[in-house]
Amino acid sequence: MTNNLPAVSVKGLHKSFGSHEVLKGIDLAAHDGDVISLIGASGSGKSTLLRCIPMLEIPNSGSISVGEAHITPRDGKLSRADERTARAIRRDLGFVFQNFNLWPHRTVLQNVVEAPMIVQRRNKAECRDEAMALLEKVGLSDKADAWPNQLSGGQQQRVAIARALAQKPRALLFDEPTSALDPELVGEVLKVMRDLADEGRTMIIVTHEMGFAREVSSRTIFLHQGLVEEDGTPEQVFGNAHSERCRAFLSGYFDRA
Amino acid sequence: MDTVYLLDLFKKLLGGLPLTLNLAVFALLGGFAIALLLNLLRTTRIGNAVAGTYIFFFRGTPLLVQLFMIYFGLAQFEFVRSSFLWPLLREPYWCGLIALMLNDAAYTAEILRGGLRAVPRGAQEAARVSGMSRLQILRRVTLPIAVRQALPAYSNEIISMLKSTALVSMISLMDVTGIAREAVAETWRAVEIFLCAGLIYLVLSLIITRATSWAERALSPWQFGARQ
Ligand SMILES: Nc1ncnc2c1ncn2[C@@H]1O[C@H](COP(=O)(O)OP(=O)(O)O)[C@@H](O)[C@H]1O
Ligand SMILES: [Mg+2]
Repeated sequence: MTNNLPAVSVKGLHKSFGSHEVLKGIDLAAHDGDVISLIGASGSGKSTLLRCIPMLEIPNSGSISVGEAHITPRDGKLSRADERTARAIRRDLGFVFQNFNLWPHRTVLQNVVEAPMIVQRRNKAECRDEAMALLEKVGLSDKADAWPNQLSGGQQQRVAIARALAQKPRALLFDEPTSALDPELVGEVLKVMRDLADEGRTMIIVTHEMGFAREVSSRTIFLHQGLVEEDGTPEQVFGNAHSERCRAFLSGYFDRA
Repeated sequence: MDTVYLLDLFKKLLGGLPLTLNLAVFALLGGFAIALLLNLLRTTRIGNAVAGTYIFFFRGTPLLVQLFMIYFGLAQFEFVRSSFLWPLLREPYWCGLIALMLNDAAYTAEILRGGLRAVPRGAQEAARVSGMSRLQILRRVTLPIAVRQALPAYSNEIISMLKSTALVSMISLMDVTGIAREAVAETWRAVEIFLCAGLIYLVLSLIITRATSWAERALSPWQFGARQ
């Protein structure tokens, strides 16, 4: 979008688990306002790629930057300074997991105020007001005092999105946010995500919701065995992909639908 | 039955209550501290082996045997008798407390480990990805969840410790059971005396059960269908 620093940038990323090389050199840049959908067969490395950005997995080589913060891990290890940078990066990103991962011992509201209050040490009343506004936005202000296990999956995921937004992140990362949901609950979560995209939020979304990816994203990346196999606008990737594999993968989806 | 005798007996037995409670409370406190340490040890490979061996021995042998080993066994070693610890180790009170504490630590360590293992990985990951430090994750997420998970098993351990204190009467300590045994030796009215002693333990257990289930509810309202 602009020629400023990208919000999120990944360069030459390699990641192995033991002798199994999962990511074989990935480059990716998300500029402010980009909505990137990451698609690909199960096992192609989508989650690993997404988890490397906030250093939930430490890459073997390559570099990650979020805004000004920049890390180049060596041999899958973080130095002390890297560890500090990683925490700064994590503060600047919102991460939404497939299984929501809300804190079970905290109410909905407490889940949302936790990071701003404890990590960013911001004013309590202000955090609360902001959290209530975020819950309103995801349609759950009446559940502020409920416990996570009293909510449906769709509601939990919306709380998780509010929790991620409370960090005022530069970018939001979603790892298959609707894959653990009953089909009838998928829509409410996708709607919230669509609103976020319309607001101009920067998002990287791993998803199997091809219709959603096609409509909402500004760019679609198809991953195959740890490499970017196709990268373009949704029109191009879904309509007219260069890669044979990408076309085969997508026709598998749309035949079923 | 002779009510005057019974009332008198109760009064006498209650005289042992401070010692019984003293042993239970300090054994539990000390045991918990050692249990935390054992779980910390478990994070390294050698430490894990050490902690595992310790727990294996203390859970695998009778508490009474451990008590006798400490009270009678240690005194046989010259280096123990000449060490600075001897003034402690020749006291039945300290031997009893040490045995109870070491035994409790083994069980509590396992209870705590179960609690720690029950903390969902995802909850810790969510904490990490929000930018919390290791210490913050431990304090805000891991320990609160682990302690709540461990509470039901731990309340059993509290009751079990309370009852185990009765064993110290075997090394001449005058706790509730010690006083009861002495009274039986004098009067041979075993049924009344041991019933009364049993009743005292029963009331204590009831109080502990009530207190811990209240604590469970207070700490984990979401597990009890709390309404908003
Ligand atoms: N923690 C891990 N340890 C070992 N192998 C892993 C781990 N995480 C992922 N993998 C392997 O990496 C590969 C890619 O996994 P993943 O990134 O989850 O793929 P995707 O999200 O595209 O389905 C898979 O073969 C998976 O088994
Ligand atoms: Mg995945």
